[in-house]
Amino acid sequence: MSFDQIDRRRFFMLAAAPLLAAQKAATPHAREALLQMNGYAVNAETPLELLTDYLTPNELFFVRSHWIPRTPDPKKWRLTVDGEVGRSLQLTLSDLKKLPRAEATCVLQCAGNGRGLYSPPVPGVQWRYGAAGNARWTGVRVRDVLDRAGLKPNAKHLHTFGSDDPPGKVPPFHRSIEIEKVLADGILAFAMNGDPLPVAHGAPLRLVVPGWAGDHWMKWLVRLSAQPEAQKGFYVDTAYRYPLAPGAPGVAFKPEEMAPLTELFVKSNITTAPKKARAGHAYELRGFAFSGAPDIARVEISDDDGATWQEATLDPRHDPYAWRLWSHRWTPSRAGVARLYARATDSRGNVQPREATWNQSGYVYNAWHFADVEVTS
Amino acid sequence: MKRTVVPLLFAALAATLAYGVTKPRPHFDASLTVLGTKFHSLPRGAGKELVESSCFPCHSADILVQQRLTEKQWTAAVDKMIRWGAVVKESDKLAIVAYLSKHFGPDNRFTPIKTRPAGY
Repeated sequence: MSFDQIDRRRFFMLAAAPLLAAQKAATPHAREALLQMNGYAVNAETPLELLTDYLTPNELFFVRSHWIPRTPDPKKWRLTVDGEVGRSLQLTLSDLKKLPRAEATCVLQCAGNGRGLYSPPVPGVQWRYGAAGNARWTGVRVRDVLDRAGLKPNAKHLHTFGSDDPPGKVPPFHRSIEIEKVLADGILAFAMNGDPLPVAHGAPLRLVVPGWAGDHWMKWLVRLSAQPEAQKGFYVDTAYRYPLAPGAPGVAFKPEEMAPLTELFVKSNITTAPKKARAGHAYELRGFAFSGAPDIARVEISDDDGATWQEATLDPRHDPYAWRLWSHRWTPSRAGVARLYARATDSRGNVQPREATWNQSGYVYNAWHFADVEVTS
Repeated sequence: MKRTVVPLLFAALAATLAYGVTKPRPHFDASLTVLGTKFHSLPRGAGKELVESSCFPCHSADILVQQRLTEKQWTAAVDKMIRWGAVVKESDKLAIVAYLSKHFGPDNRFTPIKTRPAGY
């Protein structure tokens, strides 16, 4: 057989085989894909139906980047710690790894997750459901690092700086966070789900802030500066602010009507539901729920527009600020399109609302999530 | 022997070429890590080239083609980008806003590219 006799399909199968084999060996989720929301800087969300694991695999974990990171050079990388401290520090990764290990399994959610579901639409990455995931983050406590530097009592905010470099006159993505929160819960993570932190997720070091929105979780960290005041700039003064009280959808809030966004809001999503069902037969529904509170108290399902609710079963796996997987056996009673709603209540008693509070930046959408099922008799 | 070797050689060559075209393409400074590997393209129409030359230096088309904005919102977005350094002649601004409003208005629909960001 000559080359001319190989049909096109066989040729491409042969050509693709080494690539596919290499990809399959590299990752067990080689055939699953993220949904790209921007090619550069990279933003990609996880398809909702794949968010069924307690720990979201690294290769399926959503990616949020404001700008394009410079490839880190582990030999040259240092974390600078300065500001209101007794002595400034320049720490290598091995310096950090000599400190006591800290670990947290918790949800990371982009502040804008669900922005694409707001009506009327607002500008920005049109995330739907999958800019959220649950991972085990390993590193060292922020408290231990600041203690080594001799944190002064007048330090009230920790300014955080990553190495990503915006183009033109674009403001850099610099942030700050209340010192009390990072001293209580903050982790400087160099590992994710047991593997070295991937570049897409902030290698060599990122901040982890359990229970708080992703804008606080600075990636590609190069500097922490303890300061008496919050950082100034677009990403503190203008962005990441949320209304103090609901208003009319489509009417922009004034700056004084908003405050910095901190904790996540209680939320549940349905990841698994049948598209079609038969009345009188039982089907398993699955999903996850999380909040800015450390735990979820319950998840309920309604198939009658919220008139009555059935309590779902919570998975026993849990860590503070992690999500709870849930499942529920649902038996449709009659033919027609059944709209299934999920609603979560957190350990502080916050109940997921039917409607999310519209805001001009499209942050923390948490309206009841639904799935439609076509039921036949 | 030859019958087996020739297709395998072509397969290896094709795999190499395939990797070459799918690996991250440096759009700017080669030291930057570009994780996306392919991007949406813009629909044809008056103003397309202006939008490409004004917007693509900093971000791909994906972020444009998913928006559902009114002309007023697009005007505000373009003004913000100009403040942030987008190189746009004042005389071109209206054409850019018109293009974006026409193609990515409130009724726009968007299907994301399925991707696996590199860097793992």
